[in-house]
Amino acid sequence: MSHSHPIPTEHASVSRRGFLKVAGGGVAGSSLLTMLAARQAPAQIKGTTLRILTWSHYIPAYDVWFDKWSAQWGEKNGVKVKVDHIPHLELPARMAAEFAAGAGHDIILNNATILVRLYYKSLLDMTDVYEDLGKRHGGWIPAAKSPIEVEGRMYAIPMYYILLPMLWRKDLFEAAGLKPPDTWDLARVAGRTLKAKGNPTGIALAHCNDANLVWRSVAFSFGATEADPSGDNPTLDSKEMREALRFGKALFDEGMTPEVFSWDDASDNRFLASGIAGWIHDAISAYRTTESTNPTVFKNTYVGMEPAGPGGKRVNCVAPIVFLSWKFTKNPQGAKEYLTALVDADKDGMVASTGYNMPFLNDMAKKPMPVIGSDPKLQVLQDFPKIVGFFGYPGPYTPQIQEVANLFVFPDIFTRVARGESVDASLNWGVGEYRRIFAKHKRA
Amino acid sequence: MTSSVPSGGPDAASARAAAVSLGPQSRTRGWLSHPSSRRLAFGYMLLAPAALYVLLLVGVPFLFSLYLAVSDANVGEPLSRFIGLENFRAAWEMDTFWIALRNSVVFLVVAAIFKSVLGTSLAFLLLQNFKGKKLVRGLVVIPFTLPIAISVLSWKWMYDSQFSVINWSLSRLGLIGSYGSASWPIWLGQPHLALLACIGVNVWRSFPFTAIVLLAGFTSVPTEILDAARVDGCSFFQRFRHVVTPMIFPILIIGFLFDTVFTLSDLSVVYLLTAGGPGNATQILPVLAYQIGIQAGSLGRGAAIALTLVPLLFPALFLVLRNLKRRDW
Amino acid sequence: MKAVAVPRTYRQKEIRRHLWLYAGMAPFLFIAVFPIYWMAITALKQEPDLYRINNIPFWFNMPPTLKNFDILFHQTNYGSWIVNTMTISAWVAVITLLTAVPAGYALARLRLPGAENIGIAIFLTYLVPGIILFLPLSRVVSLLGLQDSWWALVVVYPTFTIPFCTWLMMGFFKTVPMEMEEAARVDGCGQFGALIRIVLPVSLPGVLTSVIFAFTLSMQDFLYGLAFVSPGDQKPVPVGVPTELIRGDVFFWGSIMAAVLLVGLPVALLYNSFLDRFIQGITGGVGK
Repeated sequence: MSHSHPIPTEHASVSRRGFLKVAGGGVAGSSLLTMLAARQAPAQIKGTTLRILTWSHYIPAYDVWFDKWSAQWGEKNGVKVKVDHIPHLELPARMAAEFAAGAGHDIILNNATILVRLYYKSLLDMTDVYEDLGKRHGGWIPAAKSPIEVEGRMYAIPMYYILLPMLWRKDLFEAAGLKPPDTWDLARVAGRTLKAKGNPTGIALAHCNDANLVWRSVAFSFGATEADPSGDNPTLDSKEMREALRFGKALFDEGMTPEVFSWDDASDNRFLASGIAGWIHDAISAYRTTESTNPTVFKNTYVGMEPAGPGGKRVNCVAPIVFLSWKFTKNPQGAKEYLTALVDADKDGMVASTGYNMPFLNDMAKKPMPVIGSDPKLQVLQDFPKIVGFFGYPGPYTPQIQEVANLFVFPDIFTRVARGESVDASLNWGVGEYRRIFAKHKRA
Repeated sequence: MTSSVPSGGPDAASARAAAVSLGPQSRTRGWLSHPSSRRLAFGYMLLAPAALYVLLLVGVPFLFSLYLAVSDANVGEPLSRFIGLENFRAAWEMDTFWIALRNSVVFLVVAAIFKSVLGTSLAFLLLQNFKGKKLVRGLVVIPFTLPIAISVLSWKWMYDSQFSVINWSLSRLGLIGSYGSASWPIWLGQPHLALLACIGVNVWRSFPFTAIVLLAGFTSVPTEILDAARVDGCSFFQRFRHVVTPMIFPILIIGFLFDTVFTLSDLSVVYLLTAGGPGNATQILPVLAYQIGIQAGSLGRGAAIALTLVPLLFPALFLVLRNLKRRDW
Repeated sequence: MKAVAVPRTYRQKEIRRHLWLYAGMAPFLFIAVFPIYWMAITALKQEPDLYRINNIPFWFNMPPTLKNFDILFHQTNYGSWIVNTMTISAWVAVITLLTAVPAGYALARLRLPGAENIGIAIFLTYLVPGIILFLPLSRVVSLLGLQDSWWALVVVYPTFTIPFCTWLMMGFFKTVPMEMEEAARVDGCGQFGALIRIVLPVSLPGVLTSVIFAFTLSMQDFLYGLAFVSPGDQKPVPVGVPTELIRGDVFFWGSIMAAVLLVGLPVALLYNSFLDRFIQGITGGVGK
């Protein structure tokens, strides 16, 4: 039962009672071996086991790297490490089962569904690890706190996030005399022009994660917001949101076909791979896989910056991936050691992920970044860290926002508009749903 | 057990002959009408493993789910306050809930109609003797044997908005336009079509199940009775309606009941194909319960929504029980 | 009975009968087999072959390849998954058989006080949604020390196969004429003897049906497998395939199709042989 989701994110919330002092070994070297050699793990964790639950990354090679790195870390520190993979969409179910059983993995990934705030009372407090990592790597990007912070403490470690940039067919654009889609307006014009030539665009208007992410990028870039910074109140009802909805309708009418109502996360990938799409807004997995499925498309597809809204604002809605740990874990120290080392090794992780994984730490985001810094087509991705936002922007990742996302309310508003309902009626429906869901969580 | 007589062994044959010759009037109840402790002990002993297994592993969790439905539990805190029918009220306030309820019922009824018709026809055909029947029988049950979580994926592709083989074939046959034209169906994108598409997958997978249950039922009808009926001059259909159907009715009706339960509580087809979309057009109760209860973590409300299925099943259960009681011979 | 018909007319009759039957079977075959055929072709196709709108889906536009099978067996744990699935299903079928058949008999025949209520209770357990049930079951699995082993599934799957098979057997046993059992007892068999030597053989189709349904139902589950088993080599097929062949929004279609077919075909063969058992006995039965 898993959909393909371009962005798996997992929140690892860890609440710990005791203090875990992470030994501050020098992490000067950037190579894995140097780093591992430089850090001396405290003797306490020798002989323990560590079980890690993570998702299946888009890039099989990343999983290979991850499993191998974990095993090597384990050997180096005398810890028996076991890594398990499950489909990322089903991580919530597995977490629920482990919690009900009171037993399970020591470290769990959260991806596409961040459950920190639901479980935080049973998660290990990771504030010390968070602060240590921030100190040693130039600080965290501003968005990093949102998924993991509850009442001032951090209950997970943010690992990475996966972007959804613009993927556009330069050959088609040039043939039609179009400018690159740097603003949503240009994207709309391109959609219109290219659709007439048989190359429409498409953004899913269905119950899938892409729909959740991309339409939020559109709306946030138009200046709309989803909740206030406290996360307690929905702020969907705004002039900017209406403008975004009108834009969405126009974009659909002029540049898309009704097939987008049936799309899942992989449909836009297929759309691009078939050669038909003029542009799509999707993770670079869509672009990368055309290397084997349609080399012509691969050659002609370029990666673009998040288009700017009418006010010049750019926000790319992504889903974060974080690691958390249960309070009932038998190896809290091992877990923290492991996560610290994993983040320290993040540059290698980024290389192994061939540029998918975007870092939460400023130092890791310094140019040139591994892989994407050297690939001319992907260099623009380095400018994204400044503009990422999550569900509930600019508020934090609350359970109510999670429910809103799970029920696909946000894309449903756009779907209604595309199907012909008035902007006001659709937005009213959406706002009603938000209020109802928020109220339910307040009651609880 | 390779005897060619459907009920094996000489013992059975003589018993059958005895049964037939005794006639329908002499229903000696014999030892069964005397409650003997030996019989009871024997009976409970036979029943015990199944009952214990189920009542312990499922009964207790059932009570737990009832408890969840009336508490404000979430996944992080399953032991919480009692809040009465609050979860149900919250569910009833959602118009998505009513849409899901309606869709669940429509799904069930439409699928049941198709499955009974197709299943019955298939069962009859499978009984016939013809060349290649072994191959045919083998092929026809395959949909049922494929694990649903992954066979549905192939339907995802078959219904794809661009690459659907169904559309490709229909288009080549001239029945619909080409890709991009108005008559190119977007199976999972048009509201009513999407629901039908999901129902279609359920029917595809399940009608072999119906056929097999029927078939197994047919084969348990003693041939002597059928022969007797034929000798008496009944036609095929008369035989079927008046002799076979009443005899296999318990099996039929139980198969129907369980198929109803399976269909109503099935999550996979809709979840994998549309996740309830587009715009809640294919939303059904199990998917909604899962999205709210597990993925969003609101266990209490998820349980309440999932338990709404129970009253839907009572009519079917009642019918079955009444029929089985009546037929107690 | 008429005298033996002239051979030529008889043959014509047979041919006509066959034609009618084939015509009747054709739609069913088509509905059932068309997707299977498509899946088989896709499993053998090269990836770019899938992504061209104008390509023929029913045949190869680029040369066929075994690469998908190679990926399946060498780059995923498919081998383990198949073994797990078959083993789990076999165990569950056995457990179900040993519990459901006696229980069905007891409920159908022995007029136990409270039997009806027990039967209803067993049925009601089906109404508990699995999406809620898996949570307390997770605790049970953990207490038994079976978390993350496929044995957890052997323990848990009978919870949904037993109720169904009990009721199915109940139904089958109810169709056995009372008189037959009576006659057997008159002949001197004990209660147990009557069950074993008379009733069971007569209900063999039901027993076989229960076994293969239990087997199939065990192969269908996804949620319990996901919740209770996470190590890659312990998973059954329905959990393993989405884990390793669907990564984010990248689907490895060819391998997925190969995976589905390879697990379903042996089971279909099993069904086929069982169905034969059912049907071959009908000489002059319903079908004439």
